[in-house]
Amino acid sequence: MMAYSIRRFGSALFVAWLAMTLAFVALRWVPGDAVDATLARGGATAAEVAARREALGLNDPLWRQYGEYVLGLVQGDWGESLVTEQPVAEIIWQNIGATSALSGAALVIAVTLGVSLGIGASLGRWRPIRYGAEGLAWLALSTPVYWTATLAIYLFTIVLGILPGVGGAGVRYLILPATVLGFHTAGSIAQVTAASIRDALGQGFVRTARAKGLPEFDVLDHVLRVGMLPVVAVVALQLGFLLSGTVITEIIFVRRGLGRVLLAAIDNRDYPVVVGVVVLSALTYSAINMLADVAYRVIDPRVRMED
Amino acid sequence: MSALACNPRLFVALGALGLIALVSIFAPWIAGHDPRVAAPENQLLEPSREYPFGTDLLGRDVFSRVVYGGRRTLGVALLTVVVTLLPGIAIGLAAGYAGRWFDWALMSVMDALLAFPSLLLALALVTVFGSGMVQIAFAVGIAGIPAYARVARAAVLEARTEAYVDAARAIGARPVGILARHVVPAIAMPLLSFAGVTLSWAILNSAALMFLGYGGDISAPDWGVMLADGRESFRTGPWIAAAPGVALSLTVFAINLLANSVALPLRNR
Repeated sequence: MMAYSIRRFGSALFVAWLAMTLAFVALRWVPGDAVDATLARGGATAAEVAARREALGLNDPLWRQYGEYVLGLVQGDWGESLVTEQPVAEIIWQNIGATSALSGAALVIAVTLGVSLGIGASLGRWRPIRYGAEGLAWLALSTPVYWTATLAIYLFTIVLGILPGVGGAGVRYLILPATVLGFHTAGSIAQVTAASIRDALGQGFVRTARAKGLPEFDVLDHVLRVGMLPVVAVVALQLGFLLSGTVITEIIFVRRGLGRVLLAAIDNRDYPVVVGVVVLSALTYSAINMLADVAYRVIDPRVRMED
Repeated sequence: MSALACNPRLFVALGALGLIALVSIFAPWIAGHDPRVAAPENQLLEPSREYPFGTDLLGRDVFSRVVYGGRRTLGVALLTVVVTLLPGIAIGLAAGYAGRWFDWALMSVMDALLAFPSLLLALALVTVFGSGMVQIAFAVGIAGIPAYARVARAAVLEARTEAYVDAARAIGARPVGILARHVVPAIAMPLLSFAGVTLSWAILNSAALMFLGYGGDISAPDWGVMLADGRESFRTGPWIAAAPGVALSLTVFAINLLANSVALPLRNR
């Protein structure tokens, strides 16, 4: 187990480094960046633009820029914005709270709703419950955030007037965006949960348990223990979607956060900020997947045997 | 045909997709108005006989825009799927069949790309490619390659263990011949089913980039663009966003249902 964890940590670190390198190289290849754009707009001469580029080290050979970037990265210096000259680490630090709150709340909603819908769709005794849960899961899977968000704002803010729609920073302002984002994610969690429970229901130990006269409640306990295992993996995968989903959710609900920062940086061709945010989400995602892999082996000894 | 009769889901999915495809193909005959021409005097009309889904802020017929929008939205999504599938399958085949360090190197790069959430990767690629329909298709398509390559590789690894592949290798068949004759047919169905998942994902992600305004042409009829327009006037004209929203959800639902009902018999086999 220890050996596996160390090996898994090593490969996560390697993948994160590769991801960072890819992001850095890809975005240095493209012509025209924020320095040209912002200075030219301000009426700077070609000589001034050249001087600024020189000062920022943009004329150095790529390997040298890369080396300095990596050195800075491990020391917590993520470069600075080409537009505002604010350090990227500072920009990220100012916005990470809002984004974490949104994706955290959305994750809680997605897991709660997704697992209950999945259980309802596979174990529901009463037909309407089974079909209702399955239908809701399909609906969640097929409606993107940018469509449900519009509907939710219309219903809860305009028609019913019970929840604030856009802007704001308090907990009340978190309810709608987190629910909308969590709802879409719940769709795939529900489908995996339902499929996995149906799989478990067909296995031999269920028949044995029933045959020896175990009360149905205890049989379900067996089924759920086995059936819930793949959910751990899918939740970790869905976190990647949540990180994407926050971008759109933040735009629609006019919330501050890394998603808005990223979009603004893309529009301005502010590469250090783009690389910073993208690398941060890649790091988060590989860290979470590593933890999920290790957790999976702690929960399910059968997987451990395969290593 | 017997598969259709005993599988109502497949029937519903194929029916809905057929309808959507027909409407998109015959859009000029179905739409009653020009989807692009603005008519300020008809601004924000409620749904009526003349305008079944009402009109938008610029007085354009929402029904015609939804009908034409299917062409653009689905066209971009199909191109996206091609951009994902061809390299994805090639990488999966090469890595899965060659194995060893080649497999390791390719899959490490794929894992690194998978670490970027797909929409963020697509957004970063749009920075590089610029705005436009084709650019979106390439950005979203490339962002989808790593996931598809992983699925293809897993399928190849499974097919490789079959006895007939060993037999072919034993009689001295060349790797390319083995791949084409034995491995590709064996992995066709799982790859097709995952292509369905990729298509629904391509529709949602490319429409998301359109929604965010990276489509270039802002007057074009497109479900993502229409949802963005409709969001701004939802208070006064909820039908503007509702029509493309329902069309988008219906399409994605039908594709998911199709992929799901194709995958089920396979799993039971």
